[in-house]
Amino acid sequence: MELDYLATILLSSLSSASILLIAAMGLAVVFGLMGVINLAHSEFLMIGAYAALTVTKAGVPYILSIPIAVMITMSIGAIVEMLIVRRLYGRLFDTMLATWGLSMFFMQLVVVIFGTSTVSVATIPQFNVSIGEYSLDGYRLLMILVAALMFLFVYLLMTKTVYGMKARASIQQPEMAQAIGIDSNRVNTLTFSIGCGLAGFAGAILLPLVPATPTMGLAFAVKSFLAVVVAGPVALTGTVLTTLGLGGGSSITASFLSSVIGEVFFFLITALLLWLYPCGISAKWRRKL
Amino acid sequence: MFKILNATGGYGKTTIIRDISLEVKAGEIVALLGRNGVGKSTVMRYAAGLIPAMAGHAEIEGIPMPNSPAKRAKMGLGYVPQGRFVFPRMTVIENIAVAAASNGYNPKNTVEELMEDFPILVPKANELAGGLSGGQQQVLALARALATRPKILLLDEPTEGVQPSIIDEMSGVLKRINKENNIAILVAEQDLDFCLSIATRAYVMDKGEVHMEIDRDSLRANKTLQKELLGV
Repeated sequence: MELDYLATILLSSLSSASILLIAAMGLAVVFGLMGVINLAHSEFLMIGAYAALTVTKAGVPYILSIPIAVMITMSIGAIVEMLIVRRLYGRLFDTMLATWGLSMFFMQLVVVIFGTSTVSVATIPQFNVSIGEYSLDGYRLLMILVAALMFLFVYLLMTKTVYGMKARASIQQPEMAQAIGIDSNRVNTLTFSIGCGLAGFAGAILLPLVPATPTMGLAFAVKSFLAVVVAGPVALTGTVLTTLGLGGGSSITASFLSSVIGEVFFFLITALLLWLYPCGISAKWRRKL
Repeated sequence: MFKILNATGGYGKTTIIRDISLEVKAGEIVALLGRNGVGKSTVMRYAAGLIPAMAGHAEIEGIPMPNSPAKRAKMGLGYVPQGRFVFPRMTVIENIAVAAASNGYNPKNTVEELMEDFPILVPKANELAGGLSGGQQQVLALARALATRPKILLLDEPTEGVQPSIIDEMSGVLKRINKENNIAILVAEQDLDFCLSIATRAYVMDKGEVHMEIDRDSLRANKTLQKELLGV
């Protein structure tokens, strides 16, 4: 029975960490491949959730609403990059300020369109998995697999495709990337758009767990931001590690002690890591991504 | 074939090079000489489009080059910067492949061809470029520039921090690609021996201006100028 309890805690903590990873992946891509912190990231997640919710209510099966949400957030992301972010490259704080403003705009826009109340979707899959006498939400557990597949997809996209090579070259040596003929503007638009699409995917896939509200992004904003910052320049692998360590660790602490202590664990370890590795834990890693 | 005409440029409001004009004819190797800090690198960056032109322009085959460095690369300008600037978290193969693919060439074939030209890179093919030695990075930066199939190759201090055995290999390769692929080369250098071994003509810079043009034999004979260039 003790073993069942431990397995339950481990699995539920792993799924909490996976959910954080799903939410933070797009942020990690945009930071790791463009050096831009997109503070509107969690609002793209929220837009993805609302997009999925709206088309599901219109009668589209939930599973199909996910790619639709991705396409919508990717398009908005591309427009935002061309209109705003492009003008601010190399100005980290200005980009943060601009995207923060954008996040408030999106939040209010959604309030105006959809109101502040939450609408749940009945057609969304719900099932339970039992371990001994404990029962776990099956959809939550499924997020472990989703996070792994999402990571694999992004990793292969960035390491095996010509676009991925161009994107990595552009962040590592921006001038030389241009000097060998890489059109950095186009690459950056695509990268930002992919990052926003990943946020939209997160919002849609997490919809059964996190209902769509205008402020839902805030729940993820701080922790994903910190996970990505602690991860550092090798953003993708680094973020997997930080979400597992920080997210999983705080979830385990929370199960044994209390949720407040879980949060304290997250922020204390984050502060400690940033003190030890001011440029992120991956600053000295020799890895591709 | 390649010309820089009345180039004036610098950083911010500071002018570093003034009214520079030079020419590299088809199939020619030309050296750009001068002591440290006379503006050789700035001329190279001007030509590559990496600093804005305050006046003048650069052209290939009589066509003025657009401002964008990426478009210049596609017109046939290959650039190997001082300090190499390889993509550190990409493998040797990826460094070459991305350059080929960005200019519409088959990455796989290009990598194979260049690996034959630079056997020193073969054992390092799958390693990250950031972990290579200075000389190996220099060879990689050269291979990466060649992967864009340039008509004119700009080399900025290619021998800096490179061991003598690799310098010899490089000068051999440069002479060969110059002949076989008819690539014109403009090389900015401090190393006179290296220049005299590959270039047939040189421009000598001083205080941001081209102060003389000289052919190889006259330079070989002119010991005073040599001493001046070596800064002794």
